[in-house]
Amino acid sequence: MREQVKNLKYIFRPKSIAVVGASGTSTKVGAVVLKNLIEGKFGGKIYPINPKYNKLAGLRCYPSVLDVRGKVDCAIIAIPAMVVPKVLEQCGKKRIKGVVVLSGGFGEVGNNELENKLKEVADRYDICVIGPNCLGILNPYKRVDSIFLPMYKLKRPRPGGISFVTQSGATGTCVVDLAAQYGVGVSKFISYGNGTVIDESDLLEYLETDKKTEEILLYLEGTKNGKRLLETMKRVNRKKPIVVLKAGRGVKASKAAYSHTGNLAGNYLAYDAAFRQAGVVVAYSLDELFEFVKIFNQALPKGKRIGVVTNGGGLGVLTTDVIEEQHLELVEFSPETIKKLKRIIPPYANAENPLDIIADADSGVYKKTLGVIKEAKEVDIIVVIVLFQAPAVDERILNILINLSDEKKKPVVVIAVGGEYTQGHRKILESYGVPTYSSPSDAVKAVKKLVEYAYSIRSGSGR
Amino acid sequence: MTIIDDFKFLEKHGFALLPYALAKSEAEVVEMGKKIGYPLVLKVVSPEITHKTDVGGVIIGIKNRKALRAAYNEIMENTRGKKVDGILVQKKARKGIELIIGGKKDAQFGHLVVLGLGGIYVEVFRDISARICPIRREDVKVMVMELKSHPILMGMRGKKAIHMKSLEELLLKVCRFMQKEDITEIDLNPVIFNENGCDVLDVRFKRTKT
Repeated sequence: MREQVKNLKYIFRPKSIAVVGASGTSTKVGAVVLKNLIEGKFGGKIYPINPKYNKLAGLRCYPSVLDVRGKVDCAIIAIPAMVVPKVLEQCGKKRIKGVVVLSGGFGEVGNNELENKLKEVADRYDICVIGPNCLGILNPYKRVDSIFLPMYKLKRPRPGGISFVTQSGATGTCVVDLAAQYGVGVSKFISYGNGTVIDESDLLEYLETDKKTEEILLYLEGTKNGKRLLETMKRVNRKKPIVVLKAGRGVKASKAAYSHTGNLAGNYLAYDAAFRQAGVVVAYSLDELFEFVKIFNQALPKGKRIGVVTNGGGLGVLTTDVIEEQHLELVEFSPETIKKLKRIIPPYANAENPLDIIADADSGVYKKTLGVIKEAKEVDIIVVIVLFQAPAVDERILNILINLSDEKKKPVVVIAVGGEYTQGHRKILESYGVPTYSSPSDAVKAVKKLVEYAYSIRSGSGR
Repeated sequence: MTIIDDFKFLEKHGFALLPYALAKSEAEVVEMGKKIGYPLVLKVVSPEITHKTDVGGVIIGIKNRKALRAAYNEIMENTRGKKVDGILVQKKARKGIELIIGGKKDAQFGHLVVLGLGGIYVEVFRDISARICPIRREDVKVMVMELKSHPILMGMRGKKAIHMKSLEELLLKVCRFMQKEDITEIDLNPVIFNENGCDVLDVRFKRTKT
């Protein structure tokens, strides 16, 4: 790992942060960052930097980073692009190893020379630079937050196992907000902007060894080094599943008119090939990014045989349809399983897959049947459909599902279709790491991704 | 470079092409034909002719010496007035399924290899699968499974599955060739596959300018 990549630790876990461009004008980026660090209860030292002020938000304000007495681990820079290289030079002299440049106005607007200058300074001092032209980073564990969007407008997610790497700040914003909304726990969020010094491969490499990161989301618009991205994805994906969304696929149907395979190969074809080769999970929308990643905290399935338990017959049938469409297998229960189930379910219910335990089943029946299904050798994946609307289902079902999911023996997914009451329960399950879906198709598609991932790991692709 | 130079270059890189020879006269055509064995295909080799079939520069399914002589004279007649370097005498391909194997150099990922079924499958359904080079044999198996039309390759309606090992070797070879010679674009179109192996009918490629 390059020194600059190692230095990401100063950005994710700084003991002190300088906010360059901190301001008293509340709408300025530097002002929001400062406010967010204070209100977000960052535990380390905060140094506002701005020659125009002596004091900001009750903290002493310094003319430059060089005027700060103590050690500074990280600087968050929100000043006009033109002066960024000069400030970065000061950061280098101050031995600041981690810098987040929020400012835009570099290569993305044709200012390549300025961007090269920034890189030159960063390389000379071994400074790890995130950005420029980005939202920066979020580490809920250490309450480090450089996202310059007010907290009342953009909720911050709880600490968790998912790290999110995004090229686009706007997309990143939505994802952070949604993660908070869904109760999804985040380890690191990184909007890397132009990726001048630290690019997506560097970040994947860092997250590979990051103890708090279990799964990785990657939002990509384009890469400058595809070969390295492929190799990095291959390696990291084997340890920590990567779910990727590539924007700008643009494979137009008109291209189908060519019979030349060479011409057929639109640019996305190369990305698609690389993703398949690396064995990463490909999502085609922001929704899928979330729906797919949350199943990856489950155990990897041994095969594709699914057992379904439901208290609503119709949803069982709908789920069966999607299982077939996705070429997964609705397994036939073994005689042994059927014998055990018959002792539990009402005499008028069938001990068949999907197992319909009937609308009057209470949480106790769920517990007993799931106990049988989880032991059934023929079942690789457990899909539990809960109609929370049914009168006999009570809060106890939540504990049963959470415990089942926590065992990590077989993957468990829950389908809960419904309005406010159901969504409330869904959110509780999610916050305990039980992948819960509001439709059979979302759930089964995610299962399919998990099955494919498990297969690619076992078959050794991505070596 | 002439087609013969291209073929020799490919053979140097281990591609097995259908037996071929360049003949300059009727006597040579007959001699080569005897050596290669029937059935044969004759193709005119001319820097002035791009679409050989359109001008009657290709005759297929030649079964004996008499037909061979006739075919030679017919092609010479059809291409009268054009500069002709010779006549390509080629063994006729076996019957089977038409595949297209292609490749190109991508600015970000380097060389990639593409597999598709010939004819309407590639043109209409865009049924293709691609991988970044280098690839492994296992990758080829997955590429085949990725094609929507893969049941056709696996054998259906009484037909046998194609010779998978030949496909694996050919794709691996295309990758190695592209990387070694820095090929910007290559098309093996078509390659005929059946249960016994494959025949490469035509190859075109572009090299990076040096």
